Amino acid sequence: MIARLALPILGALSLLVGWQFLLPWAGVPAYIVPTPTTIAGVFGKSWPLLLDNLWPTAIESLAGFVIGNLAGFLLAVVFVHSRRLQAMYFPVVLFFNTIPVLALSPIIILIFGLGMTPKIVIAAVICFFPTLVNMIRGLDSPSTNEHELFRVLSGTPWEVFWRLRLPRSLPMLFSSLRIASATAVIGAIVGEWIGSEKGLGALIIKATFNYQSDRLYAAIVLSSSLSITLFAVVVFIERRLIRY
Amino acid sequence: MSLAIAAQGLDVGYSSLRGPVKVIAGLDLEVETGTFLSILGPSGCGKSTFLRVVADLLRPIGGSISVMGGEPRLARSRRDVGFVFQDATLLPWRTVRANVGLPLDLGQGRLSRRIDDRRDELLALVGLEGLGDRYPHQLSGGQRQRVAIARALLGEPSLLLMDEPFGALDEITRDRLNDELLNLWRRTGITVVFVTHSIAEAVYLGQRVIVLAANPGRVIADRDLRPIKDEDARCRREDAAVVAAMAEMRQALGRAA
Repeated sequence: MIARLALPILGALSLLVGWQFLLPWAGVPAYIVPTPTTIAGVFGKSWPLLLDNLWPTAIESLAGFVIGNLAGFLLAVVFVHSRRLQAMYFPVVLFFNTIPVLALSPIIILIFGLGMTPKIVIAAVICFFPTLVNMIRGLDSPSTNEHELFRVLSGTPWEVFWRLRLPRSLPMLFSSLRIASATAVIGAIVGEWIGSEKGLGALIIKATFNYQSDRLYAAIVLSSSLSITLFAVVVFIERRLIRY
Repeated sequence: MSLAIAAQGLDVGYSSLRGPVKVIAGLDLEVETGTFLSILGPSGCGKSTFLRVVADLLRPIGGSISVMGGEPRLARSRRDVGFVFQDATLLPWRTVRANVGLPLDLGQGRLSRRIDDRRDELLALVGLEGLGDRYPHQLSGGQRQRVAIARALLGEPSLLLMDEPFGALDEITRDRLNDELLNLWRRTGITVVFVTHSIAEAVYLGQRVIVLAANPGRVIADRDLRPIKDEDARCRREDAAVVAAMAEMRQALGRAA
């Protein structure tokens, strides 16, 4: 137990120490890779600035996460109950998924302007597809025997959904929510790159062009903390819901 | 004696690209209430299909069938029929007690509180006292199948359909469950239709055995086994009469395949 917790921490610490002392010694300039202590210093020095840029990204990621996953979930429910609609529209959805989000985002910004909305939409689009595919598979995963069991017991379609399909699909839903917890943040940041004054993505771009690499690295650390927090919430809810 | 199942000229099939395919053709079968009927047959003879017609999971394409004196649909909606699959089909997110109680949560014909209280009684009946709070993955294969039987009995059905319920179990567990099933049948007076591949199991359990032939399914042997059973409806596997009955069934199966 101690080894399971201590070894990864030890590993991370050893890398941080190596970064702190070996890279400057090897002559890597600070404007390319600042040391961990410099980056930590930015958090003390420029905390209000960082926080100011964290909030928009956090709100966009979370809103995109909720909207994208909800839309994927609902469309999966429709597709599972109407094979005809699925046959008609699932290939179209598949085609849309092959468009890289980076290529799509200028159009989204053209449509929704420069506020928070286009970033939320981009984050939602990224989350949408994995959840749609996983939910279709999850809702379809009950076996023939399980369906027959519910029929012998005169279960209504409503009961088949709530007591069989949905609980069966939860493990697959959560595996796509875990992925979405990282990709939602990516979506929001990509959106901010293209047109924004605020947010971690905007901060990353500005810091890069101004050679403020310590600020750039601080923004990166914050972005990943955002993903980790979202991921932790997903895992927490998953553990409460799936106990078997 | 009233009839639990009465099938006349029953045709069951499906349509394929090359026209209709009959899985069962012209099946005539009457099963008296309270009987323990074993159905033997090669794969593809339609024995599972027949159970599914009785349970209203499949609609026949011809002939007639009545279950507990009415349409299969009526028997199903009255919870007259319990079904046990080869795979226990327990829901992994429900505890053992909640799995046994599944029939309470489904259908418009909700069951009464009195039956709700029977869950623990039923768990005791199938030898799972004290395991109600476990999850299915914490049980052995034999225990899972006992849970499935308890669940099928919860609605107090008058007809229990079993589709190779012990087919995936090891022989010792299987023998023990066979004995327990016979006890249960004796105590409840329920009608049991038991589909199996095993000649020994069919003869040991059944008061009557029928053999179905394949392509299409029809009855080719029908044997009353009560004469070779004692007053407890039991037999000893090594008795000469039992061995002879098994040999007879084996011959019939040879013709069926």
